[in-house]
Amino acid sequence: MEDRAILEKFSPLITPRTVAVIGASTKGNALPNVFIRRIREFGYDGEIYPIHPSAAEIDGLPAYRSLAATPKPVDYAYIAVSAAQIPAMLSAAAGHVRYAQVISSGFGEVDEGKDLQEQLAVAARAGGMRLLGPNCLGIYTPRGKVTFTEIGPKEVGHVGIVSQSGGLGTDIIRRGMGRGIKFSGLVTVGNCADLGPSDLLEFYLADPQTRVIGFYIETARDGRRLFEILRAARARKPVVLLKGGRTQQGIAAAASHTGSLAGDDRAWTALSRQTGCILVDTLDQFIDTLLIFQTLAPSRIHPTRRVVLFGNGGGTSVLAADYFARLGLDVTPFGEPTLAALAALKLPPGTSITNPVDCPVSTLQQDDGRVAEKILDDIYTTGQPDALVMHLNLSAFAGRTKPEVLDNLLQAAMRVQTHFPGQAHFVLVLRSDGEPQLEARKRDFRARAVDLGIPVYDEMSNAGHALAALHAHERFIISRNAG
Amino acid sequence: MKNGAQLIAAARVQGRMALDEHAGKQLLASFGVGVPKSVVVSNAAGAAQAAATLNPPLAVKVMSPDLPHKSDAGGVRIDLRNAAEVERAIAAMAVTPQISAARVDGYLIEEMAAAGQEMVVGAVRDPQFGPLVMVGLGGIFVEVLADVAFRICPITRLDAQEMLAELKGAAILKGTRGRQPVSQEAIVDVLLKIGGDGGLLMSHADDFKEADINPLIVSAAGAVAVDARFILS
Repeated sequence: MEDRAILEKFSPLITPRTVAVIGASTKGNALPNVFIRRIREFGYDGEIYPIHPSAAEIDGLPAYRSLAATPKPVDYAYIAVSAAQIPAMLSAAAGHVRYAQVISSGFGEVDEGKDLQEQLAVAARAGGMRLLGPNCLGIYTPRGKVTFTEIGPKEVGHVGIVSQSGGLGTDIIRRGMGRGIKFSGLVTVGNCADLGPSDLLEFYLADPQTRVIGFYIETARDGRRLFEILRAARARKPVVLLKGGRTQQGIAAAASHTGSLAGDDRAWTALSRQTGCILVDTLDQFIDTLLIFQTLAPSRIHPTRRVVLFGNGGGTSVLAADYFARLGLDVTPFGEPTLAALAALKLPPGTSITNPVDCPVSTLQQDDGRVAEKILDDIYTTGQPDALVMHLNLSAFAGRTKPEVLDNLLQAAMRVQTHFPGQAHFVLVLRSDGEPQLEARKRDFRARAVDLGIPVYDEMSNAGHALAALHAHERFIISRNAG
Repeated sequence: MKNGAQLIAAARVQGRMALDEHAGKQLLASFGVGVPKSVVVSNAAGAAQAAATLNPPLAVKVMSPDLPHKSDAGGVRIDLRNAAEVERAIAAMAVTPQISAARVDGYLIEEMAAAGQEMVVGAVRDPQFGPLVMVGLGGIFVEVLADVAFRICPITRLDAQEMLAELKGAAILKGTRGRQPVSQEAIVDVLLKIGGDGGLLMSHADDFKEADINPLIVSAAGAVAVDARFILS
């Protein structure tokens, strides 16, 4: 299918103009009532049609008897009533509904619900709609101003997510938001009785708003199709895959969770190697990796390998150099030109000017922090790094320096990016100890940095994994698109 | 020579769970994978005459659906120097307790491959992704260290090259500790004939549950599938 046809097909889901809600009560306390409240708060300004067997009005909106009885056709139906009654509702929709999302559980994730899930899929086809779920939480689509979550950025971003777990979908939005990730959409797909990860993958690949794609997958019943779509895409957008159920234990957990059988870990590793998608193990790595792809443009010429570390904390520098090396990144000492340039700055004793560049606070506070600009200028001019990781241990500054020192350091770092556009990936690590005042400053710095396109990490290891993912992606696109 | 579909159909008609070794090698040969020159005889009588058409050293292997582990059953003899030794080897095998109690399809007499690095090439059918192809270095590398690389079929030449590079023992292929380097290109070719577009697994995606070429012996000159086992699905 052509991109335009795919976008057309998904537009009622991503930007619905009519939303039907099944399961809202006249008392206003059921989950669908909360959904109505949330989308109104989120700014949704299309039609909302509560569906109810008897009530005239729900939450101040006129209610209708069935999906077929609404004034206009339904772009998106949110359904959270007891499982057994849903198939009949869908099959009676008579082509009046484009997308139905069944939140309710009691389907294929439990043995006694497997037949009912089959009936549900048949009913959706009979009713002429595409189905999301069952056993999921909803969609978050800032373009359509529809969300199932209590909080989530209103701003439309570039990261598109599919999650087979609803709860994890919520975590991805909340934690991602705290880290500066902005989404083009998030769809929870639950048991995937009809639409599944491959369908949403096709959408995100076609969608110009989406630049980075993230999946939480427990099983792909259509793994073959997933492989073929990913392979044909040749990683033209980075795809980050958090796969649940990769070990024996994980498979048992998957069976009891979304009721699906998980594949062999070997096959998923193979998928990653052949399609360039990035396989990660934890939610933290997932967020860290999405963030680096959101903020940095992968090199199409040279995979990121040579990394310069610059910041305060000698032990931290040494440990990070080891850790990065284990990830296949290269933290080797500078050559003569860089060493000479840095030596000429005559930095105080205790400063190490090889790579890693380890500057105690006493060095960094020189010239109220503006010294960082000179150091970085020299590194960029003479050192040819592929990436520069600047790390600041905020705890070490607390009570020792004027508040503006940290600001100046960060501003220096940001200015250097404008002097050397596109020369090296720049990553910031802001370390702290959980002390509330420091955390508040860190949040403020982080927000400003991410807005300027600088990814910020809490620890060196997180930055290392994210850079290793960037390296893997770059190496793949270069190897597959050469010549 | 029979083609793949005929070999598979013949095994199914006989109610077999797997192709016998001779059929497996015919299947490999039909996709261009090198196999030893061989003849099949039904018993010791006539073995000498058949063996005379082959160049020693020779190997003899019993073919029986009841003996998947034919070495353990005493059903493999190697380094036989002439036709008379082949005949005696088959006569001796036939009277061992395990072989005399088993259904015997015949005896495979083969030319022995020149020495080289033992590799394993395998396949499994994944319920979600379809056929996967595997490669590893033979012996402890596969059996103890699980040092293998998998890919989803069909693979490209680059995929096959990356599979070899991914092995922890990859350096051995380049020649270490005074050993000759082996032809990685020959392994890549076998992987493509098995797992590539139009290769064995893509052509018979639904026919096999598992397959093992163990060993594939690779030298500087090329690769030969010395044993092959295809489990029908």
